[in-house]
Amino acid sequence: MMIEDYKGYLDMFGMTVSRMEDLTSLGLRRGGSYCDLYFENSVYDNLLLRDGEVSSGGFHIDYGAGIRVLDSDRTGYAYSESTDPDEMVKAAQAAAMVAGGKTGCEKRINVTPVPPAGTFYPVKDDWTMEHASEYVRLMKNLEERIRQKDSRVAKVIVSLVWSKSDIMMFNSLGELTCDTRPLASLSVSTVFTQNGRIENSNVSLSHRAGSEMLTEEAVESIAARTVKGLDDKFEAVRPKGGRMSVVMAAGASGILLHEAMGHAFEADFNRKGQSIFSDKMGRRICSEKISIVDDGTIPGNRGAVNFDDEGVKGQKTWMVRDGVLTSFLHDRISAKHYGVAPTGNGRRESFRYEPLPRMRATYMESGDAAPGDIIASVKQGIYVEEFANGQVMIGEGDFTFYVKSGHLIENGRLTAPVKDVNIIGNGPEALKDIVAVGNDLKIDDGAWTCGKGQSCSVSQGIPTVLVNNLTVGGGE
Amino acid sequence: MEDMTGMLTPKERDLACEALDIALSLGADKARVTLNKSLMDLYGTLDGELDKVSHCLDRSLGVSLFVDGRFGTFSTNRLDRTQLRSFLKESTEVVRMLAPDPCRDLPDPSRTEKGATAGDELGLVDPEYSRMTPDRRLSLALEASVTGKYRSEGLISEEGELSDSVFDTMIVDTNGLNCRHTETSFEYGVEMTVLGTEGEKISGYWWDAAPRLDDLKIKGCGDIAFRRATARFNPRTVPSGRYSMVVDNECSTKLVTPLLNALGAYSLQQKNSFMMDSLDKKLFPDWMTIEDRPRSVGETGGRLFDSEGVAALQVPVIERGVVKEYFVNTYMAAKMGIAPTVEDVTRPALLPGHDPSSQLKSYDMEGILEMMGDGILVTGFNGGNSNTATGDFSFGVEGFLFKDGKIVHPVREMLVTGNLLTLWNNLAASGDDYRLCKSKLIPTLAFRNVDFSA
Repeated sequence: MMIEDYKGYLDMFGMTVSRMEDLTSLGLRRGGSYCDLYFENSVYDNLLLRDGEVSSGGFHIDYGAGIRVLDSDRTGYAYSESTDPDEMVKAAQAAAMVAGGKTGCEKRINVTPVPPAGTFYPVKDDWTMEHASEYVRLMKNLEERIRQKDSRVAKVIVSLVWSKSDIMMFNSLGELTCDTRPLASLSVSTVFTQNGRIENSNVSLSHRAGSEMLTEEAVESIAARTVKGLDDKFEAVRPKGGRMSVVMAAGASGILLHEAMGHAFEADFNRKGQSIFSDKMGRRICSEKISIVDDGTIPGNRGAVNFDDEGVKGQKTWMVRDGVLTSFLHDRISAKHYGVAPTGNGRRESFRYEPLPRMRATYMESGDAAPGDIIASVKQGIYVEEFANGQVMIGEGDFTFYVKSGHLIENGRLTAPVKDVNIIGNGPEALKDIVAVGNDLKIDDGAWTCGKGQSCSVSQGIPTVLVNNLTVGGGE
Repeated sequence: MEDMTGMLTPKERDLACEALDIALSLGADKARVTLNKSLMDLYGTLDGELDKVSHCLDRSLGVSLFVDGRFGTFSTNRLDRTQLRSFLKESTEVVRMLAPDPCRDLPDPSRTEKGATAGDELGLVDPEYSRMTPDRRLSLALEASVTGKYRSEGLISEEGELSDSVFDTMIVDTNGLNCRHTETSFEYGVEMTVLGTEGEKISGYWWDAAPRLDDLKIKGCGDIAFRRATARFNPRTVPSGRYSMVVDNECSTKLVTPLLNALGAYSLQQKNSFMMDSLDKKLFPDWMTIEDRPRSVGETGGRLFDSEGVAALQVPVIERGVVKEYFVNTYMAAKMGIAPTVEDVTRPALLPGHDPSSQLKSYDMEGILEMMGDGILVTGFNGGNSNTATGDFSFGVEGFLFKDGKIVHPVREMLVTGNLLTLWNNLAASGDDYRLCKSKLIPTLAFRNVDFSA
């Protein structure tokens, strides 16, 4: 690969290799050990259907560059919304402050353009406002299908958002990497009424893909998911609380895996000694039936990255293999701290943020149990189809998750629908308490966004699993 | 007001007005331009040593365009005069692709703010901000550390962050609106992670913020954070049941926010609110009053106008238990056929009050715990959700069991569940101890008959 291959990116940001070398040298002049530059030009487009018409829309442009200086584990970070020379110099000087005034070296470096590990964003048809009329047709069609499927629909909002981010990264190791990332989400929020009662439903589809993802089949699938289980929702009650077995359905309930266990694997928490897993590397932390993966290489997935936001190639990382803790999720800082290679998890919301260890697509690999057998093995418990959201305290590992939809399990059978109930527990303890893993891994394709001080597109999945002894909060 | 680095420059302010002219020249019937600029410097420490420095300067120009009865919103942070015309031209073309919407309009000029032209009318700009230097920031951040004091008491890590910022925004529209809001802010927050008695890692956090540096209480944050962590040692399970609940002033906002959100027109118009048809109805106890106080001078969270430039007023939102206000912008007012108010609540204040059938010595935490006798004191929420349509909620909580008004021990793995309307009807007391560093002035609260699960 030649520098000329990245000429389009260099021109977009008004940069030359020589200028970037100068900026990294400037960043290191007070004694930092590493410096990198992150250039971004993102355009976000949106269309919104409300009350039957797509009468609102727009686009938003975000352009700028961040410069980061590392001095051991310390980070200096500054950004500019202009890539003009004066502004970039000011940013480099601000970031350099972290190194505390030691004498630095202004070494010249050999520039190496780095090819990506793969192309994980399969785009056939570029998104463009010029095709807005076709997108509008499908959005209206989605509303019509939902209304056709259920007469209780009161209101429908359909949102279509797509973006393209051109990214260029350069560092004091001489690595030059570039990436163009698409991301699109079609979301529908529906309100239903029945005899004065109100229920709502939120369904989304999100991929790093082109507009070919907006197929008639996709629209039909979203419409079907919108009304799925609606009778249950109107009938659902808050069950009696207490400690019981919880079966998590394959797919979206993997949010519990992301929140309650995934964050504890992120190496910044571990570097600071705050994670419950800090001193567990190489040790068995759960059943040997369990392997947990964070994967940036699933084509079209929201969490896919050709490169992470530090220019490290996209890859697949096993945090737990056969029950043993095998890796944390690293950015360059934590990787250096632990003396290992970065795992491609250095991610950020935009040039405004420094990269942190962040998840990509996090999932548990399939086991060998049949989902039906797992349910049948439970005398009394809850079957969770979807969680609405959750929260975890990283240090303690305590988590709380809100059940959006599910059923009681009584004598091995799914019975009454339940809703508006929380499940509370401790991540590592819950991991130990997983006693069965289904053979039906499903990775959810909803518009999941992780907020760890900054937003990042992610996805997650899980096969059907049985967790013993979780606290379910319900009525008396 | 002296010009400071980070504030909108005269040249940038001119750009906003120029954008209006260009929009009209490209065929827009009406337009609104919002120009934002902010500058923040942050110094982070880890265990008493510098760990992170960041310097963040943001600008954005947002445009709302009304073209041939159609509407669109656009923004860019490329505030280059040469690119402004092409940005607006493309924006105008996109609006023409959308369906007409007769409900879209600028607010009537009679409703917009006229007294916010300089930006510092609320006295939220501290001249000291311009005297902040890297060395001073570093010095303040390092001085705040209390790592040495607690290292021998099981402290695992101390993470502190000191930041100072200036935020400047202006809104102009083709009806003649021209208003500006400027504020400085200083903030310090610290998380202390401590080794528990059984090897677990327990964190405590505390923070303070103020528009003026002199008002920022940096000292003491680390001590409070450490105490909040160690107070949670040895939690015990408490049986599920119905308890009185006291919620401290650090986390009580969590219970008010969904109530206020449900009064927003976007939820009401979509029939996705448990406060439908609630205006002028008495749904809460007599002693419950929430006011919006956007115009208080010199206090965190004040703002003279909303995102449309409509004047924010001091009004009752809930008065003696009666719902008095929906939050309705120009668009939603037209869609719903009701009078517009403001887009959202700005600085809600829940006034002190209590159930007159109970004795209350003082409106602080101590007095409220004593009044309630036995129950659970909630000091933090850990996840959960509330259903916007029904008001049903379930939140994870952390806190303490109290008896005879005194804290007994921390509780573990507890959830609180119920319905927000029922919960607020069971309000027993609201204190007078809201935190001045917050924009929502919500004090310690007490409720009766709350379902806890463990």
